[in-house]
Amino acid sequence: MRNKADTDKAILMAAFAKIDVIALAVALGSISALMLFLATVGLLLKGAPPGTEVGPHLALFSIYLPGYSVSWFGAVVGALYAGIIGGFLGFVLAVLWNLTHYLYVVAIVVRTAWWRMMAE
Amino acid sequence: MSKQISSSGHDSGVGQINRPLLRAAKKLNTMLLASVFGGVGGLSLFVMTYVSLYRGLPNPGNYLNLLGIFLPGYSVSPSGAWIGLFWGGVIGAFLAALFYRIYARSIESQLQDYIANDKPEKDLLGITLRIDGNYLGLAVGAIIAGGLVVTSNWLVFRGTAAESVHADLLSNYLPGYSVSFMGSLIGALELFVFTYLACLIFAWIYNRVAVLRGGELG
Repeated sequence: MRNKADTDKAILMAAFAKIDVIALAVALGSISALMLFLATVGLLLKGAPPGTEVGPHLALFSIYLPGYSVSWFGAVVGALYAGIIGGFLGFVLAVLWNLTHYLYVVAIVVRTAWWRMMAE
Repeated sequence: MSKQISSSGHDSGVGQINRPLLRAAKKLNTMLLASVFGGVGGLSLFVMTYVSLYRGLPNPGNYLNLLGIFLPGYSVSPSGAWIGLFWGGVIGAFLAALFYRIYARSIESQLQDYIANDKPEKDLLGITLRIDGNYLGLAVGAIIAGGLVVTSNWLVFRGTAAESVHADLLSNYLPGYSVSFMGSLIGALELFVFTYLACLIFAWIYNRVAVLRGGELG
């Protein structure tokens, strides 16, 4: 059985739970890699009319991802890029999320200490 | 076994849910997430614009310029990058807030689990976030699918649906999608399903890695 203090603590635990930085980086990197790989392979399997290029618009990713192309090799290269970029983005998001929570807690502690000091 | 929380804000057992505290926690996280995504969204569009501008191509931002259809004033130019920073920030913050309002429902289910199971007490700051794939999929799926409906119908409303050949390319991945009202609904439904499945995989990977690293999930 839980008392009120326990459930209050549970609410705060849910609100202030930190994100595992590495886990989020791995998860976002993996899903990004999978998405770009499937997007490329999907076009390759679908093909294009004779004499036309497969996926000329998706190939524009090569502007940002040098070496990427809509080909089987390009799908692997793109997956690697997407994995790295997704992983980096996950890392940054997790760090920012945790940092904003820590800063918020610090701000509350400092403000409380300030008002206590002023009251005394 | 989980206990249901009544609409009056109290569960049926001894432990009572402090509704004002729960609301404050959701509001806090909504604000923090909106700040993070607003910042990241704005900066991402800013950097992408500059990369496109100085990549040395003969026609910079040929496709990125199309964002100007949805973001008034935006273009691939130095001043457009600042407008992109603004729009990226606003949209990132809005979508993050919307996302968290939906996802926050998972907190209640986690609380019910906590009340129902006598797990040992944990250190408040030592808890690692557990991602609920179901709620994540619902939140992200709803936002992305809703985004597709809004953007497609914006093109229809502008009267440029027939010229929107790039948006039409989505039909490569979403069979039945077209830049029309019905097409957008079909595409949105398919996109929701894909996104939901992707979120389930994402949450599974995250939770597995977090546990493997010895994290104690909340």
